[in-house]
Amino acid sequence: MTAEAEVAAIGPGDAPRREPAIDITDLGIRYDLRLTKRTTLKGSIAGMFRRSDGSENHFWALRHVNLSLAQGESLAVVGPNGAGKSTLLLALAGILQPTEGDIQTHGKVSTLLTLGAGFEVELTGRDNIDLAGAFLGIPQAEMDDLTPAIIEFADIGPFIDAPVRTYSSGMKARLGFSIATAITPDILLLDEVLGTGDQTFRSRSQVRVRELVTKARAIVLVTHDLNSISDFCNRAILIEKGRLIAEDDPKTIVALYRDRIAHQKLLAEEDAQRFATIPRTDSGS
Amino acid sequence: MTSPSSEAIASTRRRAPKEGSGALIRAGLVDMFGRRRLTRYLVGADIKRTHADTLFGQLWWIIDPLLQMGVYIILVTIIFARKTPDYPLFIFAAILPWKWFSTSLNDATLSVTGRQQLIRQIQFPKIVLPSASVIAGTLSFTFGLVALGVVYLFYLDRLTAWILLLPIIAAVQFLFTMAMAILLSALNAFFRDIQNVLRHFLRLWFYLSPGLYSLSAIAGSHKIVYDILSLNPFAVLFDSYRSVIWGSDYVIAGSANVASVTVYLPPGPPNWPGLVIVAAGSVVFMLFSILVFKRAEPAFARIL
Repeated sequence: MTAEAEVAAIGPGDAPRREPAIDITDLGIRYDLRLTKRTTLKGSIAGMFRRSDGSENHFWALRHVNLSLAQGESLAVVGPNGAGKSTLLLALAGILQPTEGDIQTHGKVSTLLTLGAGFEVELTGRDNIDLAGAFLGIPQAEMDDLTPAIIEFADIGPFIDAPVRTYSSGMKARLGFSIATAITPDILLLDEVLGTGDQTFRSRSQVRVRELVTKARAIVLVTHDLNSISDFCNRAILIEKGRLIAEDDPKTIVALYRDRIAHQKLLAEEDAQRFATIPRTDSGS
Repeated sequence: MTSPSSEAIASTRRRAPKEGSGALIRAGLVDMFGRRRLTRYLVGADIKRTHADTLFGQLWWIIDPLLQMGVYIILVTIIFARKTPDYPLFIFAAILPWKWFSTSLNDATLSVTGRQQLIRQIQFPKIVLPSASVIAGTLSFTFGLVALGVVYLFYLDRLTAWILLLPIIAAVQFLFTMAMAILLSALNAFFRDIQNVLRHFLRLWFYLSPGLYSLSAIAGSHKIVYDILSLNPFAVLFDSYRSVIWGSDYVIAGSANVASVTVYLPPGPPNWPGLVIVAAGSVVFMLFSILVFKRAEPAFARIL
C-alpha cells in the first residue's frame, strides 16, 4: 500500500534532527485496588480498621519504565493483556498522573481514538462537536474551521442537527471518530481498536489514521497485530507485568515476544501435565 | 482541515504530584475560571437535558415550585391548622432557593461519576463539571423567579424595594452551594453511597431549616433549639429571603395569665450579620472543597 510506503519513508535513517518527542524517566503508575473495587462507605470504613501495610491493595500497572522517543520515530508497544500497554498510553495522554517518576512530552498529544463515549445525548451532533472541542481545549476559532470537515467525514447527513439520542450506534461511532481525528497531533497515540462502523467507513477511517500517521512527528502504537508492526514502526518495546522487558527494532521485539509466548505456553502445558498427574498418585496411595 | 500551525511546540511535563495545598487551590481556581467556554457548553447541555423529554420543558421550573407550594399549603394550613398571614408567599421564599440548592447538589454529585468514560479519554480540568451543574441550577433558579412574580400578583402589598436585595442573598447561597457541590462530586467518586443518601439527607435538612416555619417564632420559648438551628446556613438564608420577600415575625412570650403574642412585620432588611458569617464561612469552605477536589482529581481516571 502506498500509505504504508509513506509511513516507512518517515522511518529511521532520514531524520537528521533528533529532538526528543517523549521522555519518560522511572515512570510508575499505581492503582489502588481498594478504590478500584468501587467501594461503598461501609467497605472502606471496615478497611480502615484492619489496615495492614496495604501492599495487597496496590497494583503497579507500570514501574521503573524508562523510555525516550525522538521526533520522527514511531514506537510499537507489545505485550500480553494486562501488561500495562494501555496504562502507558493513558499516561502519555495525561489522563493518568504518574505515581512515581516523570513524563515529558514535546508537542500536542492526541486524544485516545474513541471519543464517542462522551456525547451528550440531548444535544445535537453539531453541539457535541463544539462541546468536544471545549473539552479538548481547542480555541473556538479553530473549532469553527474544523467543524465542516468533521461533519463531512462523519457523513451522517441531516442527523448532524438532530439530538445524538436519535443516532444509531454506528452513527455515534462515526461522529466520535471524526471528531477525535480532526486535529492533527504532534504525538499520535493509537490503541489498536480502529475498526469503526460499517465496512466502507472502516476503510475510510483506516485511510484517515494513515494520514495522521504520516503527519505526526512521533507515534506510539499499542497493538496485538504483530504483523503490522514493522509496517508502521521503526522501534518497539515489550512490556510484561508493568515492566519494560526489552527495547529494540520491531523485528527483534516481535521475535522475542513470540518466543516468550511460546515459552509460557510450554510452561503452562507442563503445569497442566503436572496437575494432571497429581490425582493419580493421590488415588494410588 | 489542518489548523494553521504557527504555534511553537508546547512541552508538557508530568510528574508524581507533590504540590502544596496553596498551589493546588490556586490551580483549582485557575481551572474554574480558565475554562469558561467549556463551562458554558456544559451549562447549556445541562439545561437542555433537564426536562427535555417533557411537554412543558423548561416551564417546569415555574410550575414545579407552584405545585410544591400547593402541597405545603394543604399540609400546613389545613392539616396542622397553622395560621400565618399570606402563607403561600411565606413558604415560597424558601421553596425556590431550596429547589435551586437541592437540584444543584444532586446534579453536581453525579457530575464526575456520570462522565467516567470521558474522564478516561480526555485530559481536562474535572472541577468544571460540578461548577457547571451549580451554574445551570442557578440559571434555572433565576428563571423560576417568574413563579415568585406569579405569587406576588396575589400579595402586591408585600412587594417592597427590599426585594432588590434578593441577588445579594442568592450570591451568598451560590457560594455555599458551590462549595458543597465541589466537595460532594469528588467524594462521590470514591463513595457511591453519597448519591443514594443525599436525597434523604437533603429532605431532612430542609425540614430542619426554617423554611416552612420561622425560627424567630421559637426564639423566645426554646432558646437552645433556636441556637442550634441557627448554626445551619439555611437558617440565615431562609430568614433573609423571607425578610425581603414576605416580612418577619417574632413572638412575645406570654406568662401565666398573658397569652403570647406573635408580631408580624412587613418586609425589611435581611439578616446582615448572619449573611456575612455564612459568606465568609462559605469562602473558607470553598477553598477546602477545591483542595479536596484537586487532591482527589488524579485518582478519578484510576477508579472510575
